[in-house]
Amino acid sequence: MKRLRLEAPQLIMISYLVILAVSLKYIGIPYMDMINDSLIKWVMNGVLVLSLVPMINVGAGRNFGLPIGISAGLLGMCIVLEFRLEGWLGFGVSILIGSIIAILFGYIYSIVLNRLKGNEEIVGTFAGFSFIPIMNLFWSLAPFKNRQMLYPVGGQGLRPKINLDGYFGGILDNFLKINIGSLTIPLGLIMFFFILCFMVYLFQRTRMGIAMACIPENEAFAKLSGINIDRYRRIAIIFSNILAAIGIIVYSQSYGFIHLYDGPFMMAFPAVSAILIGGATKNKATVFNVMLGTYLYQTTFLLSVPVANALLIPEMSEIIRMIMTNGIILYAFLYEGVRKRNEKV
Amino acid sequence: MIKRITALILSLIVIFSLAACQNTDTEKAAVESSSEKNVETENVENFKIGIVTPTLSTSEDEFRAGAEMVEKYPGIVKHVTLPENFNAELETGISQILSLADDPEMKAIIVCSGQSGLLPAFEQIREKRPDIITIATMLDEPELMAEYVDISFSTDWVRRGETIPKKAKEMGAKTFIHYSFPTHLAKEAVAQRKQMMEKTCEELGLEFVEIITPDPQTGDGPAAMQQFLREDIPRQIAKYGTDTNIFGSNCPMYDVIIDEALKLKFIVAEQCCPTPTQAYPTVMNLEIEAEDLGNYDKINELIAEKAKEAGMTGRLSGWAMPSSLYVPKFEIELAKYIIENGLELNEDILNEDFLGDFSAEAMGVRADFRALDENTNNYYLLVLESVYY
Repeated sequence: MKRLRLEAPQLIMISYLVILAVSLKYIGIPYMDMINDSLIKWVMNGVLVLSLVPMINVGAGRNFGLPIGISAGLLGMCIVLEFRLEGWLGFGVSILIGSIIAILFGYIYSIVLNRLKGNEEIVGTFAGFSFIPIMNLFWSLAPFKNRQMLYPVGGQGLRPKINLDGYFGGILDNFLKINIGSLTIPLGLIMFFFILCFMVYLFQRTRMGIAMACIPENEAFAKLSGINIDRYRRIAIIFSNILAAIGIIVYSQSYGFIHLYDGPFMMAFPAVSAILIGGATKNKATVFNVMLGTYLYQTTFLLSVPVANALLIPEMSEIIRMIMTNGIILYAFLYEGVRKRNEKV
Repeated sequence: MIKRITALILSLIVIFSLAACQNTDTEKAAVESSSEKNVETENVENFKIGIVTPTLSTSEDEFRAGAEMVEKYPGIVKHVTLPENFNAELETGISQILSLADDPEMKAIIVCSGQSGLLPAFEQIREKRPDIITIATMLDEPELMAEYVDISFSTDWVRRGETIPKKAKEMGAKTFIHYSFPTHLAKEAVAQRKQMMEKTCEELGLEFVEIITPDPQTGDGPAAMQQFLREDIPRQIAKYGTDTNIFGSNCPMYDVIIDEALKLKFIVAEQCCPTPTQAYPTVMNLEIEAEDLGNYDKINELIAEKAKEAGMTGRLSGWAMPSSLYVPKFEIELAKYIIENGLELNEDILNEDFLGDFSAEAMGVRADFRALDENTNNYYLLVLESVYY
C-alpha cells in the first residue's frame, strides 16, 4: 500500500496556496476562472516535468540540461511549419520529428553524462546552457523558407517567436473541452498528459524499468548482476529527452507561440522545483510526484501575481517566486546531504 | 576516437562561425564598394552629404537607413560607419567623421548613433570647415549638442506619455492599463512617461490602472512575464470591458498583448517602441516577400488587412516606421534641401512648423517637432505621425 506522506516542501506550498486562495475571495477574482487556468497551466508544464522522471530513476540526476531536449522539440516544430502542416497532422508530425531529433541529441548527451558520473547535475546545467548559443546560431542561419517564420526586416533567420495560430495552436487545449457551468475542463489536454504519465508508469514496471531503478540503489550490485549500466543510462537519458521534446510541443501549442533563442534558457529550474515539491528525491521520482508537484507549483505562481498586485506590494510576488523556485532546490540538496550523513553514522 | 570527433566538431563549428561572420563582412564590403563607386561618379555633382552610422551588427536600423539613402541618391550621399567597438575606439570614430570634412565638396555631415562622446569632432569641423552643416542624433547632453551641432534631433520618449493616452481616448478608450515591472520602472524615462500618462489620463477622464508583471530581467526571464499577461489580460478585459487601452513598457510584451487584442478586441494605441515590424509580423503571421523587405507601406497595408479580418479596424495603431530609421533619412533629406536651395540656417528653417511640413513632404509621414526649451532653437524632439490599422 502506498502511503501518502507530505514532507516539509509540500506542506509549505500547500499552506501558501491556501493563504492565496483565501485572499482571492477578498480581491474579487472568480475562483472558477482560476481553476480553469490552473488546469491548463498544470498540463502545459506537466509534460516537461514528467521528462525528468526517467533520468532521476536511473540515477543520472535531475535533468538541468532540459534545454537540450527542448531544442529538439523546437526544431521538430520549425520543420513542420516549414512544410506548413496544419492541425493534428502538424502536431503529430512535430512530435515524431521532435522525438527523432531528441534521440540523436539524447545519445550525444548520454555520452557526455556517462563519462562524468556523479556530476550529472552540474554538467547537465552547463551542457544545457552552452547548447542554447549553438541553437541560436542555428536558428539565425538555418535555411528556412516559410516567410511566416523569418525576421520581418532582414528576411533571414527565424523570428524569436513564431505564431502557431493556423497551424496547431491550442489544438489539445480545445480538444474534448467540457463545460460544466463556468468550469471548463480541457479533457483532451488532460487525457494526453495522463496517457504519457501512464506510459512512464508502465515503463517503470517493465523489466528494464525495474533494472534501471536498482542502478542508483546500488551500482556495484547492479553491475555484478549483469546489468549494462551505461546502456541503461543511455536509454533513460534518451527517453527523458524525447519526453522533453514532446513537453515543449505541448507547452507551445498551449502558449500559442514557439519561443526560440533564449526561450528554453530558464525552463529547467521551474521544472526541477516542481518535481521536488512533488516529493521526488535524488534517485526516486514517481508519476504521482510529477502531478502533485506541477499542480502545486504552477498554481501558486498563477495566484501569487494577481494577489500581490491587488494587495499593493507587487514586488513581493517576484521575491516570493524566486525564494520558492531556488529555495526548494536548495532544500532538496540540504535534505539529501543530511540524510547521507545520517546513513554514514 | 571521441577526442578526435570532438576536435573535428569543434573545428567545424569554428569554421562555420567564421564563414557566418564573413557573410556579413562581404555584405558590408558590398555596401562600402557601392558607396565607393558612387564616389567616382560623384564628380558630376557639385555637393556631397556624409552620413555616419553604427555598423550593421551594432544597430541595424540606422545602418540600413544610411545604406538605403546611398542607393536613393548615388553620388550625393556618402555612408561611413563608426568602429564596431565604439567606446574603446572613440578616437577612430572622431577621425572617421573628420575624414568626411577633408572632401572639399562635402557640404553636410550627419551623425546618427545611439552613443555619446563624439562631440569633439563637431568642434573641429566648425573650426576647419565652418561652411559644413552638421546634423546629429546622439546621446550627449542636449545643451552641449545645441552648442556644437548646427541642428540636433531626438525622439521624444517622455512626451509620448501625453500623446498615447490622448490617442487612446480618440480611439474610444475609457480605461488605460499600464503593464510594467520593478527594474523597468527604475529607469527614469519609463517612470517619467508613466507619471505623464497618469496625469494625462486624469485630465482626460480615463481610468488609469497600473499592473506589475513578473520581472523578465530577474528570475525566469520573459517567459514568466508573457505567461502572466496571457492570464491577466482576459481578467482585466472582463473587468473593464473592451474599451480599454493596454500599454506595456517592455517590447517582448507586445507579442502577447497584440495577440490577445485580436481575440478580445481591446485597443492598442501604441507600442512601447512603435514600429510595424515589432510583434505584428509574428502575431499576424505576416508573409513579407523578399522584395517587400524594408517597404513599410506594404507592411502596414498587410497589417491593416489582417486587422480588418479580425474586425479590429481602428483599434490598433502605431508609427508608420521605426523612428531610428526615420530620423537618419529625414536628416539627409533636410540637408539636401538646404544645400540645393542654397538656404541659410535661420529661423525660416529652424522652426517647428517648417520642419513638420517638410517632414510630411519629404518622408510621406509627418513628424511633430518640439524645441528642447524656449532658448534653444536648434535641438528638436520629435514624435511621429500615427497610422491606424
